[in-house]
Amino acid sequence: MPFWDCFVASLLAMTADYSSVVGPMLFWQILIDGFAISSLYALGATGFALIFGVSGVLNLSHGALMVAAVVAAWAAGNDLHAGPYAGAALGIAVGFVASLITYFFIVRPLQTTRKIREEEKEIFILTATLLWGIMISELIAYLYTNNAKTVAPIVEGVVSIAGVRTPSNEIFTAVVCWLVIGLLWLLVNRSKAGKAVLAASMNPRGVTLLGVELSQVYIAVWAIYGVLVGVAGVLLGMFLGVSSYSVGPLTASAFSIVVLGGLGSVSGALIAAYVVGYLETITAYLISPAYRTIPALLLLVAVMYVRPHGLLGRR
Amino acid sequence: MRTFSTARILLVALGVVVLASFLPLWATGYILGLLTLAYYFGVFAMAWDLLFGFAGEVNFGPTFLIGVGAYTAGILDNLYQPPIALCIAAGALAAVTAGVVLALPALRVRGPYFGLTTLVAVLMLQNFVVVDAHLTGGEIGLTVPDVISISDATNYLIALWFMAVSGAILFWLSRSPVGLILQASGQDAVQAGALGFNVTKHKLAAFIISAFFSGLAGALLVFYLGSASVGTLVDITVGVQIIIAAVLGGRRTILGAVLGAVFLIAMSEALRPLGDLSNFVVFAMALVVVLLFPSGFFGLLTRTKEQA
Amino acid sequence: MSTAERAHLEVSGLTKRFGGLVAVKDMALSVGAGKILGLIGPNGSGKSTVMKLIMGIERPDAGSVRINGVEVAGWPSHRIARMGAGIVFQHSRPLHRQTVLENITLALLPDKLTQLLADPKTDARARAIAARVGLSGVLDRRPATLPFADLRKIEIAKAIARDPQVLLIDEPFAGLTAKETAAFSELICELRDDGRAVLLVDHNVKSVARLVDRVIAMYVGERIAEGSADEVMRNETVRRVYLGGSLETAARPESSFRDTATPFLAVDNVSVHYGKAQALENVSIHVHAGEFVAVVGLNGAGKTTLFNTISGLLPYSGDIRREGSALRGHSAAAIARGGIVQCSEGRDLFVFMSVRENLDLGGQHLSPAARAEQIAGLFDLFPALKERQKQAAGTLSGGEQQMLTIARALMMKPMLLMLDEPTLGLAPVILEQISKALERLRQTTAITVLLAEQNVTFALPHADRVYVLEHARIVWEGEPAKFAAEMGTGYL
Repeated sequence: MPFWDCFVASLLAMTADYSSVVGPMLFWQILIDGFAISSLYALGATGFALIFGVSGVLNLSHGALMVAAVVAAWAAGNDLHAGPYAGAALGIAVGFVASLITYFFIVRPLQTTRKIREEEKEIFILTATLLWGIMISELIAYLYTNNAKTVAPIVEGVVSIAGVRTPSNEIFTAVVCWLVIGLLWLLVNRSKAGKAVLAASMNPRGVTLLGVELSQVYIAVWAIYGVLVGVAGVLLGMFLGVSSYSVGPLTASAFSIVVLGGLGSVSGALIAAYVVGYLETITAYLISPAYRTIPALLLLVAVMYVRPHGLLGRR
Repeated sequence: MRTFSTARILLVALGVVVLASFLPLWATGYILGLLTLAYYFGVFAMAWDLLFGFAGEVNFGPTFLIGVGAYTAGILDNLYQPPIALCIAAGALAAVTAGVVLALPALRVRGPYFGLTTLVAVLMLQNFVVVDAHLTGGEIGLTVPDVISISDATNYLIALWFMAVSGAILFWLSRSPVGLILQASGQDAVQAGALGFNVTKHKLAAFIISAFFSGLAGALLVFYLGSASVGTLVDITVGVQIIIAAVLGGRRTILGAVLGAVFLIAMSEALRPLGDLSNFVVFAMALVVVLLFPSGFFGLLTRTKEQA
Repeated sequence: MSTAERAHLEVSGLTKRFGGLVAVKDMALSVGAGKILGLIGPNGSGKSTVMKLIMGIERPDAGSVRINGVEVAGWPSHRIARMGAGIVFQHSRPLHRQTVLENITLALLPDKLTQLLADPKTDARARAIAARVGLSGVLDRRPATLPFADLRKIEIAKAIARDPQVLLIDEPFAGLTAKETAAFSELICELRDDGRAVLLVDHNVKSVARLVDRVIAMYVGERIAEGSADEVMRNETVRRVYLGGSLETAARPESSFRDTATPFLAVDNVSVHYGKAQALENVSIHVHAGEFVAVVGLNGAGKTTLFNTISGLLPYSGDIRREGSALRGHSAAAIARGGIVQCSEGRDLFVFMSVRENLDLGGQHLSPAARAEQIAGLFDLFPALKERQKQAAGTLSGGEQQMLTIARALMMKPMLLMLDEPTLGLAPVILEQISKALERLRQTTAITVLLAEQNVTFALPHADRVYVLEHARIVWEGEPAKFAAEMGTGYL
């Protein structure tokens, strides 16, 4: 893929350039912050890609589910005065439940209804999940106002990396993200149930003919997704904080990443998450935080013009 | 023959519009204002229905085209104060151009990619508006020095007849031979090609028409409200409401979209006492409609007729 | 310019690849005005792809397509259509939200953006065409309310409306009764007599023999024979591809199976509809435990539908019982777990997973020890799979994929193994290997096998009993030895 090679090469060149121009401190700051943000994006995008790959659904309520998890964790700390661990657990639980509600009450009914033609179902599911996401964000705004909320971090304090003072929480975030992604990889590639899920993403009929109930596979996938979204959300809440306004951008970044990486390719999503994460961080530091989402969007537009299947897409 | 001929339906619709024209005689300014908004909204929804219902392309970002039209007109007025008509014309033209720019990548991709392209367009516009605040008023919004009229009744009538004319054109289009080709292009592009129709050309035309009416209505709306902001014209939630209005009224009916728009606006107002929860309830109802009554109002009506 | 002077279709060197698969290789044919050419081939032979390439629905990788002397290869389909080509698709594809009249009117419209007013002349022409094909009574109805034959008539009407000089027709008689087929044949002859060049694509010669002037037979993307219908039916290569060589049998008599009262599998009066078409009509078969039963029939006869129905993937009327208890109400996965396992026609392999992983998935319900034992046994049966166990399933050859499909199904330790057209598109050498493996299974295990095949030479040596499925109905049942005598020559 010559396009990809050139891109990586120029990215590396840019990095080398920047480090000499902006000085080592800023360079390391960007590198570290970028890594933490990208890891968070990677976790969220992996979940999004999983749902699309197996269930065939582009869940546009993704951001809302994440924010719901954060707000639950925050409310636990704020209203119930629970500790950070309890708050995080509640947040993850809320993510889990919300994800299953999304599947059972919105996605599955639409997938199985007879009232809509097959070709149109995808669009209805997109619209319904979008609506559901908006509903959740409105509800959150109503119950807890639009203000930004942060969750008390599990890990406090500051460490020094290459002379840069970094909150330990950031390291914690990156580590947990990769731990979860690693666990997921193990689950999918090494466990029996996981392989059934992987097989279902390649050929649902084949899986049925081998005696595996697809309905159970789907429930399992949405359950895993719920946990992923919960973890990503809680980490985000501890790292940067969210508000009901974050719902849209979070969903947007997740699907931008998955489209960039290629719908259907989880490894593509992982790489794309780092591309987007670093683009945002670099822009935020070197140009302005207000502009940070623009380069990623421009890249997405360029990719859709040139290579609509994304960098590593199969479809 | 169709159940009702195009001419007959338009005649009935004309009758309704004429009746509605008498509303200012006894309705309050408040209600007139609400309906004015609803009528412009109706045009947005009709334009969307043409693209979706006929060309078969789901546009998740109708507000991209509306926003381009509205902001072009508004910014132009702010900068140079030309006659309102010129601003509006410029807005419509800008929207058409934006429509073509959006159509080019969008038509090359299929299925979910198309919808995502349109979503990306809206996000980009949103970003641009917020970032270029000196030009666009940023998140606070843009105010324009001129408005079309201060009188509620005048604004109402302008909106009503604009919607009527737009609706008539769009409806007639949908029922014409070109509309038939568009439907074929949307339902079965391979068959349409095998029958000798250049599908891309027709879908592009649908895009341009949809963009024209969206942009025009958006520009007119700016000069009615006297302002434009991301929250009223560009935000994804507005786009979703447009889609809901069209689906509620019945996809592929064009005229149904107006019913859906009026219903949605009326419902939002009726739920105002609920305060901030009103939005939630409206969207919840919309979700119920999508899940349980995907054919919308008109769909229910026509279904019972066919079963009779 | 009269149709008779200009109508001509000439194809040469036509090639199309889909990824690594060569769907059409170096195809050549020509049809002149007032002639009908038949293009015959089994599933996967590439004949439908050839049609799509001519019509511009797919772009050829190489070769030339000349319509009325003009080179059109690589053109988009709408330009080729306006050049004078028309296609009648195999599956009816009307616009579901439009009436019959509107569907026909569409075909009469020019490709212009400015057609804003309905033209009464167009309306009159549409009505005339509808009358010609026999649709006058249903002009205002929507396709969903019409019977199957009427939907086919709409397709022909659209073709007539386009007034093409070169007409491509894909499997015109599939799903039609004898009377409807006769009416259609007449229409096609009329169109031919207008001076058009007609290319008829079908999967067997018998159904189009009366119409065509010449026939070209295809197999795995290439021409294998050309001549009159009779000549092609008697051609050695063609017969081998469809039927194989001479028919040998080694059947066990039905009385030797013990479960005569309640056969292992009993399919009773089963009917299945695919949309409007009747895919199975009152089909009844039974299979005894330990028996090898073959269901032979040509493409479109209903074999795959039968298997999918038994597997629980399709709704049906009638009764399917396994050892006396009904299968109705069980999910497809439950039926598979219960011991009725299908090797589908499309193989349904997990293409990005390795051979080993595919097998492991087949054996997921077994304990690790049992699974290892089973895999060892299968590697013994199919040594080629052992060699390639780490390779991704999608990169295997056709024959190896088929072996993997069978092996994976055997991992489930099925009581009834249903094989759907295992020989499709495979070279004779591979058929030998699969045949040997089946023979070993038959002799060393108590497995019950239901084999659906087009290739009678492959199926008969393994079968204890044979059913013949034709146009959704069972038309013959009996011993393999009697098949040659009673059905043999009439089969193709």
